[in-house]
Amino acid sequence: MSATESPYWNPKTETLPKDQLRALQLVKLQRLVARAYEQSPFHRRLYDKACVRPEQVKTLDDIRRLPFMTREDWMANQAEKPLFGDLITRPESDAIRYHLTSGTSGRQPLRVLDGRKDWSWITDMWCYGFWGFGIRPTDKVFFAFSYGSFIGFWGAHYCTEKLGCLTLASGNMTTEQRVKQIVEMGVTVVCATPTYALRMGQTAEKMGIDLRKDGKVRRVIVSGEPAGSIPAVKKMIEEMWGGKCGDTAGMTEIGTIMIFECDHQPGGPHIIEDHFIEEVLDPDTGNPVPYGERGERVVTSFGRGFIPLIRYRTKDLVCKVPHTRCTCGRTGDVYEGGILGRVDDMKLIRGTNVYPRAVEAVVREHHEVEEFQIVITRVDNVQDEITVKVELKPDQQDCWPRLHAQLGKDLADAHEGLRFNVELCKQGELPRFELKAKRLQDLRPQY
Amino acid sequence: MSPKTNTDLLGRPLTADERELLDLYGRLRTLSARTDLPPVATANVKQAMVLLWNACNDLALMYEEPGCD
Ligand SMILES: [Zn+2]
Repeated sequence: MSATESPYWNPKTETLPKDQLRALQLVKLQRLVARAYEQSPFHRRLYDKACVRPEQVKTLDDIRRLPFMTREDWMANQAEKPLFGDLITRPESDAIRYHLTSGTSGRQPLRVLDGRKDWSWITDMWCYGFWGFGIRPTDKVFFAFSYGSFIGFWGAHYCTEKLGCLTLASGNMTTEQRVKQIVEMGVTVVCATPTYALRMGQTAEKMGIDLRKDGKVRRVIVSGEPAGSIPAVKKMIEEMWGGKCGDTAGMTEIGTIMIFECDHQPGGPHIIEDHFIEEVLDPDTGNPVPYGERGERVVTSFGRGFIPLIRYRTKDLVCKVPHTRCTCGRTGDVYEGGILGRVDDMKLIRGTNVYPRAVEAVVREHHEVEEFQIVITRVDNVQDEITVKVELKPDQQDCWPRLHAQLGKDLADAHEGLRFNVELCKQGELPRFELKAKRLQDLRPQY
Repeated sequence: MSPKTNTDLLGRPLTADERELLDLYGRLRTLSARTDLPPVATANVKQAMVLLWNACNDLALMYEEPGCD
């Protein structure tokens, strides 16, 4: 079989029998933990505090002896020891790249550094996914991506170069220019967030372009929003573009993707298990939940050299099912329905993290406001909208035109420019609370 | 990585192709550690070394500290 006929990027490890996959994970875990203990003061403190030593990891189940790593610990470590904390294992001078998580109001974004090998690995994880979804060297791949400090599709861009595809970067183009280039160049693969894939489709319609007839797109690869695994959304994207839509998911803390949908599309993405251990735990007890039950993703990554990521609590809600759900032959398990949401109260709105408490902090800056409520909805199954409903104090009614504009601006400024709808309510319309307030209503459908 | 290794991380004997990949990686690693080569050689050899590291690592021929180059 020639290389391009292989359905797998890495046939040897993607189809490993489960027992051998577990054995491989154990070897990697042992070395990773030993390295983290030796080279990252952050991890050494964490493990010393929990009275656990690397040599106690003798079986894969021993991973549960290791303490969790949380984003809060990471952020606190960065704040104590700016700029990167003492969890990086290499001197800063060895790094070739710097990226940031999408920040949220009141929280510092995480800063990450990576070396050459880290970036080569980051790229390779995307290769598992792109190859697995049928992308080949003959494809022309278009990235609708802004190429900034957010890690986004950066690794995917290098992946398609590595595969030998014609790679089209569209950094600062308008939506119309993007649509035009996709058609003009005969692009066969489009990469975007699900929301933006739909927006490009709608723009094409307005431009009088029928992407199904005028374009040659056969695959749309989405990432960055849970909507990418919602069947109704995928169907809309596929009907617009005339190609199959496949989901991927990653995070800045990992630097790349850890799950991807294969060409067989069994209803969720496969985990790249030779590079990650993905535990699914009860968020309250920290105990594993069985296959088919929802829990919190806790990830251990074998790939990043600068930042050891071991038992990192992602707060992503997932439901793991056995690999046998899919007929493609991969032995990596499947997250049914992709990333299902968040286990805590953080809300992801069009790619930006929103915390109710941060919204409250902004609203409470305006003394004219008596009560408020945050309402999140999903329009047409895709576009998330966030609305802040406001009740004014009885003697402050005249200030509304000014306050309306100011509040919208302040909320956007505190959330990376995210647009908030701001609405005025009548006196007494919003609920009042005693003790714990519930001012957030998330009316999006739960999948 | 031990240059004398005969098995992969799963304990399977290395195939001839796998041996060649590991050998290439080892040679590139040695070359990329040299400080007396012109920048054009050092930088490009490092890039090549990293790509070979990727192949060997993904094929479970070794699991070497990723941050080190
Ligand atoms: Zn599959």
